[in-house]
Amino acid sequence: MTAPALRVAGDSHVGKVRRTNEDSLLVEPRLGLYAVLDGMGGAKAGEVASRMARDTIRDFVAARRGALPPRQLLEQAIAAGGTAVHRAAKASREHHGMGTTAVACLVTEGKRAVIGHVGDSRAYLLRGGRLQALTRDHTIVEELVARGLLAPEEVARHPHKNVLSRNLGARSETRVDLLELEIQVGDRLLLCSDGLYGYAATEAIQYLLGSGDAPDHVCRDLIELALRGGGGDNVSTVVIEAPGQAPTSTQVVRTNGAAAWWQKRQRFLAIAKERGLTRNPIVRGLDPKEALELVALSLCEAVFHDLERSTGVNVWTFTQHLAGGWFERGGDWASIRGVIDILGASARGVVDEVRAAEPQLGILLDVAVSRALVVAELALGGLLSDRLRQVDTDMIELASQRDTLQSIPEFSEVPEVTESRDTSERFVDRPTIPFLRPDRPVTGAGISAEVLDGVHKALTIARARTNPRAELIKQVLVALDAIASEGSESFGTAVLSARELYGVRAIDDAGVMPLFDALDQARILTTASVHQIQVPEGTRARVLRAISTAHQRLVGAMTGLVLEAVAPFSDRLREAQAATGKLRDQLARAERRCADLERRFATVADDDGHLWGAQGDTEP
Amino acid sequence: MATVPPPLARIYDALRPRMLQRLLELRSSLDPSLARLDEATARAQIGAVLEHLGNFLATGDLRLHRAFLQTFLAMRAAESQSPASVLAALVAIGDTAAQVAQEEGARRPEGVELMLLLTRVTASTARALNDLVAEELESRRRSWHDMSAHMPGLRS
Repeated sequence: MTAPALRVAGDSHVGKVRRTNEDSLLVEPRLGLYAVLDGMGGAKAGEVASRMARDTIRDFVAARRGALPPRQLLEQAIAAGGTAVHRAAKASREHHGMGTTAVACLVTEGKRAVIGHVGDSRAYLLRGGRLQALTRDHTIVEELVARGLLAPEEVARHPHKNVLSRNLGARSETRVDLLELEIQVGDRLLLCSDGLYGYAATEAIQYLLGSGDAPDHVCRDLIELALRGGGGDNVSTVVIEAPGQAPTSTQVVRTNGAAAWWQKRQRFLAIAKERGLTRNPIVRGLDPKEALELVALSLCEAVFHDLERSTGVNVWTFTQHLAGGWFERGGDWASIRGVIDILGASARGVVDEVRAAEPQLGILLDVAVSRALVVAELALGGLLSDRLRQVDTDMIELASQRDTLQSIPEFSEVPEVTESRDTSERFVDRPTIPFLRPDRPVTGAGISAEVLDGVHKALTIARARTNPRAELIKQVLVALDAIASEGSESFGTAVLSARELYGVRAIDDAGVMPLFDALDQARILTTASVHQIQVPEGTRARVLRAISTAHQRLVGAMTGLVLEAVAPFSDRLREAQAATGKLRDQLARAERRCADLERRFATVADDDGHLWGAQGDTEP
Repeated sequence: MATVPPPLARIYDALRPRMLQRLLELRSSLDPSLARLDEATARAQIGAVLEHLGNFLATGDLRLHRAFLQTFLAMRAAESQSPASVLAALVAIGDTAAQVAQEEGARRPEGVELMLLLTRVTASTARALNDLVAEELESRRRSWHDMSAHMPGLRS
């Protein structure tokens, strides 16, 4: 029996409350065997129990594979694990009463999976974007629900909701629940302990599991999510993914393309420097190295994250912050154009090098990076359009006031003045770096107390400037505060905040647009507020960076939720398009048939419909 | 932009009816401004853009490209479309054309090259359009300053 080519990863964390990690993981691609076990018992007994059961299961499968059908193999292996724990518990007073849960998955060569479980560790399947639980907890309350003695909605608040009705170790023989399923391309299986689902919303788990990230990233993010939710227990996850037979161009870009891009980041910076990025007015006053990091590396990272996730949200946000902040400070268009052109040329330089080394990958990366530049232009276009509308409004207002003044005699004779108030050429003296890269979005990093303090101050100012009735904007600002305070690479808080803000909105203009308007308003408010706090320029830049990153994450998470929500409509649209195509073909055939009949009919009928002609049996 | 090798220009011309058909079918989901148009107007507008893209691919003449965009922008402005909306529509057209070229790429390698070219053309179109809008913005700001300079009572 050989396991199919799957991508698998597992991770475990002690949590924020417990002192020891009693969970155990089993990730054995050679055997096609994966499991999560959650031990219980005093002192270190739980740890002993989960490890003992894990080792027994693994050894049993290794020894008997081929001799037993997969279903019996896994069932007997888990039962053997229970027997071993039971014996050890009886033999030692120290380990008396110890036990463990187990959820295990055995994948066979036919891409069939057998899931076996005892206790409340769970298996989930993500298929077609939908998450479904494959296991039912062996707890007292679930047994009561199954027997119709307790309503499902009462489970969450039942005092004995965590009391297991079955575990490995309580008895010499254990009954194992089994389930078999066919693994399909694109499926993702999740095995986890109650430390995950007890502290993270199912929707957030679904979101992260469906993110398309590599399994090791998903495991790490899921654990981070549980820790953000309180981390009251040990948390363990195993993610098993069945990738497509042949990767699509999108997948190639997300993996190899993103990696190739990121490996060339120093080259990107070098080209940007050669092309004079550090001399651009936007970075005036900054140390060249810092300027390169703050602008060029920020875009480089934004492109990297967009390539990884097949989105444009990071580049969009970068451009909006860069250009929006510059315009708000009275900056000119030429400087923005100069920066974007330099960054675009740097990107092309990197892509050319990748193409020279790997033509196939290079061309896909070229397309993806060109699209990123289009996204940047779209963001600029939105800003320009807004400003154009504002100038038009100002002109109308000015014209209206002029008409009013001219109707007043004392103003109608005011002589013309020659003083120019043209501020269009007024550039700022201080550097403006509206978008600043996350501290270390790729490698992870903390956030200093000074910056954190600045973030809180800026957001407090922003909240004070918010209309008291603008509840949504205030909620966004609170969310930004929470996300910015995290200061790490996790999207957990952003996902949860987005979910909270999203609530029960419907996917239409009325439902979603106010939310995105609020996000935009919050961005403008926070950018302006950062310029009001009393901190050194360097700190101000880092505060802006932290808030911008938080905003970027929140928008990204929100976009993910919206995309998730519209997925069923997209499917229906595709189905409708296919149906339209068929109907069009039928219509074309019918029209041809109609034309044919008309031609034939014309030979046997006159204009009044009287039959004649071909048959020649009637004269008009 | 350099001129495109004749085979690619020919492939583009051959694919143009399919691109137009796809755009007409999908216009309601591609961009709100395209969705608002009736069938005949949409066909004329999208057809004009596709034809121009073909000319741009064949000649690489940026001056003509800019002139076309200026006219297109002015015409759409007369229909009360914002520059952002015009930009979104042009990008949607470029993306869909590139998608059709990508599908062609499954049959012959030139399709992939054409997809890349169309994506780059979309990028340069967006860039040129933004420059035009920025010029217009600057011009209107000057007008505003001229007006306000002649009204000292309003300068506060």
